Amino acid sequence: MNKDMKILIVDDFSTMRRIIKNLLRDLGFNNTTEADDGLTALPILKAGGIDFLVTDWNMPGMQGIDLLKTVRADEELSKLPVLMVTAETKREQIIAAAQAGVNGYIVKPFTAATLKDKIDKIFERIDAS
Amino acid sequence: MESQNKTALLDAARALVTAIETDDETQVQQQLTVLTQAQESDLFHEVGKLTRDLHESLNSFNVDPRLVDLTTNDIPDTRERLNFVIQTTEDAAHNTLELIDKTLPLSDSLKLTAQNIEQSWHRFRMREMDVDEFRALSTEIESYLPTVKQQADQIHENLSAMTLAQGFQDITGQVIRQVITLVEEVEGNLVELVKIAGKHQTESTEDGKQVDPIKAEGPQINKDKPNVVNNQDEVDDLLSSLGF
Repeated sequence: MNKDMKILIVDDFSTMRRIIKNLLRDLGFNNTTEADDGLTALPILKAGGIDFLVTDWNMPGMQGIDLLKTVRADEELSKLPVLMVTAETKREQIIAAAQAGVNGYIVKPFTAATLKDKIDKIFERIDAS
Repeated sequence: MESQNKTALLDAARALVTAIETDDETQVQQQLTVLTQAQESDLFHEVGKLTRDLHESLNSFNVDPRLVDLTTNDIPDTRERLNFVIQTTEDAAHNTLELIDKTLPLSDSLKLTAQNIEQSWHRFRMREMDVDEFRALSTEIESYLPTVKQQADQIHENLSAMTLAQGFQDITGQVIRQVITLVEEVEGNLVELVKIAGKHQTESTEDGKQVDPIKAEGPQINKDKPNVVNNQDEVDDLLSSLGF
C-alpha cells in the first residue's frame, strides 16, 4: 500500500470530512482531497489522479451509492477502490452496496482502528490479486 | 315523523290503494309521485344537515388562530431552529477538532524530547558519556523542564476549552425539545383534521405505496428494527456471509 496515494473524501458534513482526514493523517496518509457530494466528486475523479475513494451514502445532490455505481460503470474509474463510511445500516443497503462493487463498508460512528483495519484489508486484497 | 307529514302520506297511500283497485292509472301515477317526493325531501333534508355540519366544523377548524399561527410562524421558525442546531453542532465539532489539532503536536513534542533525554540519561548512567556531552545534556534538561510546564499548561487550557465546547449539547437540546413540543401540537391538530375529514379517510393508504428498500434513511434511531445492523461486527458478518 502506497502511503502517498491520493484519497478523495466525500461527505456533505465538513466535520465528518475533517475527522476522516485527521484519522487518515494519523495512519500516514497525508495526500487527501475533499468533495461534499457525488456531483462535486465526479469531476475530481474524472480529472484523474485519485487512488482511493472514501464516501458517505446519504448526501444531497448525488448519493454515495449512485457515485459508486457511476464509478463502476466508468471505464477509466471502474477499478478504483471505494470505501463507504455511512450511518445507513439496513441490511438491504449493505447488500446493495456489496452488489454495486463496494470494497469496504464502515458504519458510523466508527473508530480509528476500524478505519485502519478496513483500509488494510482493501489493499491486501488488491495487492494479492 | 311529523303528524302533518304522516297524514299526507297516509292520504296518499289510501288514494293509491283506491286507484289500484279501480284501475285508475292516472291516479296511481299521481299518488306514487306524491309518496316518492316525500321520501326524497327527507333525504335532501339529511344531506343538507350533514353538509351544514361539515361546513361548520371546517370553519371552526380554519378559524382556530393557533393553527394559523402554527403554519405561518411556528413551522418556519422551527426550520430556522433546526438549522441553528446543525450550525451549532458543526461549530462545536470544528472548535473541538481545532483544539485537538493544536494539542497533538504539544504532546508529540513532549514525548519526543523526553525520549531523547531518556536515551542520553541512560548513556550517562552507563558511564558512556564524556564531559562535553554531559554539559549538552544538562543544557537540554534545563531548557526542557520549563517547556514541560509551559506545554502542559497549554494542553490543560486546550482541554478546558474542549470541555466548554461541549456546551452545544445543552443549547441544541433545549431547541430540539421546543421542536418536539411543536411536533406534538401539529400532530394533535392533524388528528382533529382527520376526524373532521371523515372515517373513510382514515383507512390506511400504505398498500399502494412503493418503498425503495435502499433509500437513504440516515442514522437508525430504533436499533431493534428488523433488517437493521447494530454495529460494525454485524456489517462484517453480513458481508462475509455474502462471500465478501
